[in-house]
Amino acid sequence: MEKVLLKNYGKPDSHKIENYILSGGYKGLEAAVKLKPDSLIQLIKDSGLRGRGGAGFSTGLKWSFIPKDPTIPKFLCCNADEGEPGTFKDRGIIDHDPHLLIEGMIITSYAIGASNAYIYIRGEFVFGTNRLQVAIDEAYAKGYLGKNIMGSGFNLDMYIHRGFGAYICGEETALLESIEGYRAQPRKKPPFPALAGLYAKPTVINNVETLSCIPSIVEKGAEWFSKIGAPKSPGPKIYCVSGHVKKPGLYELPMGTTVRDLIFNHCGGMLHEGRALKAVIPGGVSAPLLTPKDLDTPLDFDSLAAKGSMLGSGAVIVMDQTTCMVKSAHIVTRFFSHESCGKCTPCRDGTPWLTRVLGRIEHGEGKPGDVELLESLCTNIFGRTFCPLGDGAVMALRGFVKNFRDEFQFHIDYKRCMVS
Amino acid sequence: MATVKINGIELQVEDNTLILDAARKAGFEIPTFCYQADLMGIGSCRMCLVEIEGQKKLQPSCVTPVLHGMSINTETPTVMSARASMLEFLLANHAMDCPVCDKGGECELQDMVHKYGPRKGRHADAKFKFHEKDYALSPVIIKNSNRCVNCMKCVRVCREVVGRNVLTALNRGDHQEATSFMRTFLDCDHDGNCIEVCPVGCFMRLPYRYKTRPWDLKGVDTICTYCATGCRMVIEHRDGTVVRARAQMGVGINSETLCARGRFGYDIMNDDGRVKTPMIKKSRTGGLEPASWEEAIAFIKDNLATVDGEKLGGIISPRSTNEEAYLFQKLIRTIFKSPNIDSSVRFKADAVEGFVKATGMDEGGASIFDCMEADTVLIIGAHLSDENPVTDYIVRRISGSRRMNLIITSPRAMKLDSSASVVLRHLPATEGALLDAIILNLNADKIVGSEALTALKDTKLEAVLAEAGVDAETVKLISNKIAGSASVGIIAGTDFLRSPEGLPPLGLLRELLKATGKKLTVVPVLDRCNQRGVWEMGGHPNFGPGYSAVKAKGMGTEAMLDAAHSGGLEALYIAGADLVTLAEDEDFVKRALSKVGFLVVQDTFMTETARLANVVLPGVSTGEKDGMFTNQEGRAQVIKKLLPPPGKAKKDIDIIRAVGEAFERSFGPKNPALVLDEIRKEIGMYSEVSLTFKNKRNPDNELDNKAALVKGTHSDLKIGSWPRRHVAADPAFPFILTTGNQLFHSGRLSRRSEILTSLSKGAEVEISESDATALGLKAGDKVRVKGARYEAVVSLKTKKGSKPGVAFIAENYNEAPVNRFFKKGEGLPRVSITKAL
Repeated sequence: MEKVLLKNYGKPDSHKIENYILSGGYKGLEAAVKLKPDSLIQLIKDSGLRGRGGAGFSTGLKWSFIPKDPTIPKFLCCNADEGEPGTFKDRGIIDHDPHLLIEGMIITSYAIGASNAYIYIRGEFVFGTNRLQVAIDEAYAKGYLGKNIMGSGFNLDMYIHRGFGAYICGEETALLESIEGYRAQPRKKPPFPALAGLYAKPTVINNVETLSCIPSIVEKGAEWFSKIGAPKSPGPKIYCVSGHVKKPGLYELPMGTTVRDLIFNHCGGMLHEGRALKAVIPGGVSAPLLTPKDLDTPLDFDSLAAKGSMLGSGAVIVMDQTTCMVKSAHIVTRFFSHESCGKCTPCRDGTPWLTRVLGRIEHGEGKPGDVELLESLCTNIFGRTFCPLGDGAVMALRGFVKNFRDEFQFHIDYKRCMVS
Repeated sequence: MATVKINGIELQVEDNTLILDAARKAGFEIPTFCYQADLMGIGSCRMCLVEIEGQKKLQPSCVTPVLHGMSINTETPTVMSARASMLEFLLANHAMDCPVCDKGGECELQDMVHKYGPRKGRHADAKFKFHEKDYALSPVIIKNSNRCVNCMKCVRVCREVVGRNVLTALNRGDHQEATSFMRTFLDCDHDGNCIEVCPVGCFMRLPYRYKTRPWDLKGVDTICTYCATGCRMVIEHRDGTVVRARAQMGVGINSETLCARGRFGYDIMNDDGRVKTPMIKKSRTGGLEPASWEEAIAFIKDNLATVDGEKLGGIISPRSTNEEAYLFQKLIRTIFKSPNIDSSVRFKADAVEGFVKATGMDEGGASIFDCMEADTVLIIGAHLSDENPVTDYIVRRISGSRRMNLIITSPRAMKLDSSASVVLRHLPATEGALLDAIILNLNADKIVGSEALTALKDTKLEAVLAEAGVDAETVKLISNKIAGSASVGIIAGTDFLRSPEGLPPLGLLRELLKATGKKLTVVPVLDRCNQRGVWEMGGHPNFGPGYSAVKAKGMGTEAMLDAAHSGGLEALYIAGADLVTLAEDEDFVKRALSKVGFLVVQDTFMTETARLANVVLPGVSTGEKDGMFTNQEGRAQVIKKLLPPPGKAKKDIDIIRAVGEAFERSFGPKNPALVLDEIRKEIGMYSEVSLTFKNKRNPDNELDNKAALVKGTHSDLKIGSWPRRHVAADPAFPFILTTGNQLFHSGRLSRRSEILTSLSKGAEVEISESDATALGLKAGDKVRVKGARYEAVVSLKTKKGSKPGVAFIAENYNEAPVNRFFKKGEGLPRVSITKAL
């Protein structure tokens, strides 16, 4: 497949605007400003593009919720707070092809009528922040940002807002709170950001990868895009593969590539010969894991949902037979409890409790009934938290317990690990 | 209207009603921690989760509005298990030290676990501890974060209601701690509203700590005795010592809020320095000696029997109950046949008459809630944030929740400024000039109406703007906002009483706004709890009960003191007012009082005034008597007795009656209930007031009990004409000195409260930050405030945004008595401020 998102990845000085333009950049923008915003939104709707941040919501539909009243100020926020363990796709685009993101954001702003766009970037991405800032300055210099962009009469200012290292800032409403200068804690929905988002004004929040798809859709058309990959969730997708494979890294493949194809074909198979695959986390740590029997599942939104998991951010974590599932579950749950924002009771007080129970099982201090306790706590947390973070923690843990219950039981019964 | 089904019961509710409220209407209680009617909903505690048919997840009922056709279940096994599980989670990280927790017994967490909670705890691991020892956040607030349920009510009440915004949350997850920034000691209003809203023992009263268990307390529902906002509160004692005052959610106009004075000023009732027995001074040179009541009354009878009514006066405290004030004026007017009665020591009698007329107090009660319903509300002549903190809370809360214009005009910056849409700083005592400017702007060309209004045409706008020291543009903006509003509210404060020059223009503005067909609500703001009630009972030389006309105007406090000074006052009966410390020019007052032939002082403490008396009669404090107060809005509210009087002290109403009976056996009515009956009969405004509390605790947080507002009457009061006094500029004394109440004090009464005194930092002079910078001074410096007659060394307080050239010393300091700077009959004094060496 011809690369769309990573086409400039690895090329020398790919981040510079001259090289981006040479490679055909800002053509999409040129085409976009000739269209009416409404037809642009229709184009994205027709392309079938679904949000790459995790929820997989139709991007065109999201844009269409924005009120058309030109007197109301509107905002675009790019969610570049890439914090899901195992995920590093947005960083790849930001570091190597910042103009792709900027172009996508300009087109999106034009479509929804925003005159201010924010990039909320994870605080640890210092290199990326600097690159983006240089790129934004270049775009201003070339007239792609600022007043009267490409003679269209459309004005746009773009700002980078650095986060300070909290996972919750990736939740869109917490991200808005953070930009406004408050504690990053999710807001109640409704009202949804499309009606009252940043500074209580209509706001679109899109992921870096989603926005990076926009220029080529405008340039090459909705039909071209909708023919790539799985019919219900078309387009190219960056998979971030890590763990026990020969060649971990970023892979841009059509949506719907199977797990087997990804691991054994593209990534060169398992890292250690002779060690069997034990589990795959298909979409970042909050996605319930898959076992070898599910290797032929296509990696797209609907197929994974059917298997009880999710595509999430597309972070594929591969684990071989030597991996202790109790330890993995403990690490994952500890992450969630550490990153819980503290707003709602079940997540704030429930996830640390899960971590404590898992910790004692892992350290050989588990008690009979602990697995049942974990399951019961999961039931009490799931569906009752304020935002999806708590649900994510539970879904991940449930995946571990459901598929590897005997390992947990072994830890409790024999006070040691089953695999090492 | 939306039709919803709750647990199978169909009912109609307003659109956008919260499910929580709809369920309560249907008769189903839903437990909550983070929900509070007057705070912004955050839906975080998850206790209120309910099942909505057709929705997969449980929904928080405290932030979810009903939709037409919704079917909601609040008591299914899933909902009940969700509640139990939330409590289990809360307990997992809870300190569980109920046996030593102050909140034990009235803790919402305890109650809820008892009602919904898991019967057995499953958490068996070590808990996270925020700290080992409780830490103090202020002299009155102590904190134990290990008990926190993270409802964030403390943070929200501090931000949304109190407006101090000093609390926040540190860290995240289960390490999240609602406290001050970096747990630093707070320099805040110390009002303890964070304590009141805390459902658990996380924020606690430091003075109340480890004193008692809630079930050992006996309390009564009463009214605060400091400013005239009229906050309902419960004061509680254990074994005769008052240990706590608290507000109640959904009760009174204040709901769950109180200021520092109300919440922590209760300890004046525990003061040992009370006068507990009558005292008489038998000879001119001798001291006061204890006596029996019979002796004291007989002594009074002997000395007053021959006094000519015209040469006798009575002054009653504005903290007396309506019944006492009514009986007192009856005593002075009918027994002593004297027209000389007053209740305001600090304000001129004619100024009071003008104020009553200009603010329309004679037209009946005006609810602050109605006032805040207006499109534009103008606050003038009142430093709400310091003088009437709870009125400030009400204004902040309502102005923050609806679209309206809030205009604040005052010489000094105040906390409420941040809620205002327009803030204007004018020179002290120039409210009149400012109002003139607004009126001229409102219809400069064609002012018609009364003679006075028409006469204003000749006034030059530039002249009044210069007099008030304000810029034309802001005044224009204010005028435009008023002109463009269908309804206008005015909150007018005691500065009009201190400088009555502003009263005629205030009256004119009312006249003009009414003439232009605007809905107008004027709320007067007063600083003594029953000032309004005492006036309405006839505690004033210019008018009788219910603002009725008097045959001849008597002498007010000022005139009485003048008369005394020239030897023309033979007897004076002062019930509860400390003239020496409150009236302008202390030396003059002392000289005058010592020349009074026979001085009767009835008070709870041996005040400076009482020391000069021939007879001292021990009265009781607010918590020791029953009665009725009328707050600034004209709400008649009931105070209740908590403790018996100490020693031989008697209820003031009994003392007044005993004195009256000594002269005429039939003097009465004989008990407070009968006095109230007579008040109802005699005073039309009070014909429908009732002793029963009408606004009982209500979960809808309906705080505006209109039934308690007194009715209007017809009166012949006059605003009077008040020539403008110009304070001439004087390079030697660059500051104009103003006064008022400090945040932690109300008059000198609250000086008796150890807790309140510990909160205020001692005598301070407040000037604007820019002035301080220009003088090379900084906050906290010791400075010498020098006037023509008096000087004092105090510490400096600076305030950003105050009018330059204005100095402020509160009237509450014993160590820097501000009344000594004033000279009777002159306007505001000028002072210089220099660094004290």
